Amino acid sequence: MAAAAWAEVPASAVGTGAPDEGDPRVEATLLVDSTQVKPGDTFRVGVRFRMDPGWHIYWKNPGDSGLETDVTWDTPGSTVGPLQWPSPNTFRTPDGFITTHGYEGEVLLFAQARAAQDATGQLQLSAAAEALVCEVHCIPAELMLTRSVPLGTETVRDAEAMRAFDAAQAKVPRPTADTGHTVQLALDAKQLTAGQDFTGTLTVTGPGGAALPATEGDFFTPERIEGVASVALTPAGAGRFKLKGKAEPDVPGAEPRLTGVLRLGTAASGYQPLAVDVAMAPVVAAGGAVAAAPGVKLPSVKDSIAAVKPVAAVVPAAAPADSSVGLGLALLFAFLGGALLNLMPCVFPVLALKAYGFTRMVQQEQGRVASHAAAYAGGIIGSMLLLAGAVLAVRAGGASVGWGFQFQEPLFVAAVSAVLVAFALNLFGVFNVGMDGTALAGKVDSSHGLLHSAGEGVLAVVLATPCSAPLLGTAVGFAFAAGPLTVLAVFTALGLGLALPFCVLVLVPGLAKKLPKPGAWMERFKQVLGFALLATTVWLVWVMGGLAGVDGMARLLAFLVAVGLGTWVYGQSQLQEGGRRLASVAVAVLVLVGAGVASLRFDGLAPEARASSTVARTQPWDSAAVTAALEAGQPVFIDFTADWCLTCKFNERTVLSRDEVRAAFTEHQVAFFVADWTRRDARITAKLAEHGRAGVPMYLVLSPGAPDRPEVLPELLTADLVVDAVKRAAECSPSRRKDGSNIVCAVGFPRP
Amino acid sequence: MKQIFTALSLGALFLGAPAFADAEVGTAAPAFTLKDETGKEHSLAQYKGKVVVLEWTNPECPFVQRHYSADTMANTLKGFDAKKVVWLAVDSTAHNTPDKSAAWKKTEGFSYPVLQDASGTVGKSFGAKTTPHMYVIDEQGVVRYAGAIDDDPRGKSDKKVNHVKAAVDALLGGKAVPTATSTPYGCSVKYKSS
Repeated sequence: MAAAAWAEVPASAVGTGAPDEGDPRVEATLLVDSTQVKPGDTFRVGVRFRMDPGWHIYWKNPGDSGLETDVTWDTPGSTVGPLQWPSPNTFRTPDGFITTHGYEGEVLLFAQARAAQDATGQLQLSAAAEALVCEVHCIPAELMLTRSVPLGTETVRDAEAMRAFDAAQAKVPRPTADTGHTVQLALDAKQLTAGQDFTGTLTVTGPGGAALPATEGDFFTPERIEGVASVALTPAGAGRFKLKGKAEPDVPGAEPRLTGVLRLGTAASGYQPLAVDVAMAPVVAAGGAVAAAPGVKLPSVKDSIAAVKPVAAVVPAAAPADSSVGLGLALLFAFLGGALLNLMPCVFPVLALKAYGFTRMVQQEQGRVASHAAAYAGGIIGSMLLLAGAVLAVRAGGASVGWGFQFQEPLFVAAVSAVLVAFALNLFGVFNVGMDGTALAGKVDSSHGLLHSAGEGVLAVVLATPCSAPLLGTAVGFAFAAGPLTVLAVFTALGLGLALPFCVLVLVPGLAKKLPKPGAWMERFKQVLGFALLATTVWLVWVMGGLAGVDGMARLLAFLVAVGLGTWVYGQSQLQEGGRRLASVAVAVLVLVGAGVASLRFDGLAPEARASSTVARTQPWDSAAVTAALEAGQPVFIDFTADWCLTCKFNERTVLSRDEVRAAFTEHQVAFFVADWTRRDARITAKLAEHGRAGVPMYLVLSPGAPDRPEVLPELLTADLVVDAVKRAAECSPSRRKDGSNIVCAVGFPRP
Repeated sequence: MKQIFTALSLGALFLGAPAFADAEVGTAAPAFTLKDETGKEHSLAQYKGKVVVLEWTNPECPFVQRHYSADTMANTLKGFDAKKVVWLAVDSTAHNTPDKSAAWKKTEGFSYPVLQDASGTVGKSFGAKTTPHMYVIDEQGVVRYAGAIDDDPRGKSDKKVNHVKAAVDALLGGKAVPTATSTPYGCSVKYKSS
């Protein structure tokens, strides 16, 4: 690539600079990709810098030292766009103390240009290039480069120059909006505190949910971010990066955005640079004085509760779909959502059971009501914290999970089914649970020992997870995207909400006495409840069918029979004494373990492809297909669901499959997509997280008129709500708007 | 539970101590004692009660040369009350010597001392990255400004804001420093390779 190859390059377009003891360290050339330009046409113009070996110039964020390379254009008769920066390299001093970003060898910094319609004669192109050229020491270079391009009736490209521009263009990071990648940033705090460290997680998914290629070396180069002193990423599993940064002590006016180049791929596989640009959070001043000690400020629950008060008044107005939820609001939502969970079909049987227990207790052992309520609440909160711990542990392992994720695991479904069956048999009187050895003495109703109350709390949580209640999705979504302490705090609030009904029963004097008087009806009621639990088991068996097919269901049923047998043998043992009793218990245990080992093998079992759900014509969710439908002018409805999600099934059967809803879908030519989360699916988990959710159900309505701003519908649907949303989306379609629709889409769609 | 968190966060603070060693605005400046080009010792502690301006410098750096030919530093210092403000240049260049500093001081004709930090220890304790890189420390030894001398890296603006002047004027006037940090620009500090 000697100068001879660029025969037409005039001497005025080439300059040298940064003389180092008489030897120039940089040579710059003004390049144009066309030898002739037609007025009104676009062309590319740029400055190619060639540095001596070991010398470099700087990127737009030079890093710790150095200076941004600058090109100022003077181009009468044409306009030049912003400078395009190929992906930079990172340079470090040997001790690693100073890091800079720039280019060595050769780089073409270029821009798109357009000749004016009325331009005549020749286009004069002048570039004033200013670069700091550094090896160990630095030399500033200022270069004036000029050349002219004739105007003509056709634009004639220069093949050689085109190659140089194309090569440079290929290295320019592309915006994720163009590449189809999704980038989501979850900071661990709602705000950045001036002068303090902050952390978060960046999740990146490939186009159509594809897995992200590996990264290596200096894969992330941040731009200069006002208000942020430093920011760095470290890989944390596929498509996930831990973000660590530090806010500047000054509070900027605007909210900082995380901007920079994310370089995907390896030297072996080739690099793909992406331009990342996502909002971070506003920077707030450190509490009072600027002299706050450095270090991470742990969010305290007390602060958050204090923060709830002023926000609470806004709750009814704030749509649950709003993803910008603060910790305080999240805690409130978690608490209310937890209380509402009691009314959802998953938890209701347990609630009824507990109510039954209380009725009896109020009469027989009044003094212990409070301690039982405490044990029940303790069981709930304890298992909530365990769940939170599991979430954190799985997340630390690099996988992503969501609300109800444990139902994606066949063994877990089997275990819960077994517990339910055993519980039901206990209610039928097949066996007793004796905690203090007085089971047969009949003096104390041992089936309501304190441990039993705690156990019911645990069961309530276990059964609650496949249900989502209003407000809950927002709170849990917030927690899942946040730091460990927030997760624990939100789950605790959730547990408190779930335990609320019984705490109220105990705390409000006289209320407990209003419960109906116990009698013979209670024994029958207890047994009816046993059937309610068995009905819940039917649902779990069906879930298993979705996870592991007919074979899986058969294995689970076989195991449940063994559970029945084992508990029956155990019940018999309670009537026996001494050695025979022990032998019976041993047989019971043997039956259970043996049946478990023999039947609970779900590896390799897969569900058969099932006929589409109860809802109209559906297709499996796929980003590319969604984009295609939107481009075709169709509104899009996406149903994020799972077989084990009762709320989802309820919505599908009572709302989405209704005739009026189906008719609306047909009328507006809605493309209906189902994202099935019954089994683990990282793409769906990522999509949920993008909308601040950690679990299903979630319903998205996308309009072809505003495809980047989906409307998130509430967890509990109504037919009117769905029809309205779909209609709104359809009327915002660009093709419909031509028909004189006066709907103002920016206002009516979507909700802010 | 609470004790565990407290213990963890305290532990994190101690472990993290070296990482926090940079002279951060709002925190106490790292203590130092350095000899100047004549061999006289200067410590930060001895200037307690005065506003101290630290200027990381390197006469070989084009950015430093530009500011010295424009007398930026001398003019800035001239605007302050000499009884209340101390100006110290620090050279952390690995190959710098007191003789070179003395010669440069004579050529440029300024009066403040050039502290000799060829080992780079003090420069790194402050987190000095560029020449020039400026720090303003208040009467109590707390860093109040860190960054560039002004907002004009290319030396072409006719309406430049001198951040150091603004910070010192604010401190002496009992006001809040308008801009507490800025991105320093210039050559990298040529530290000794370790």
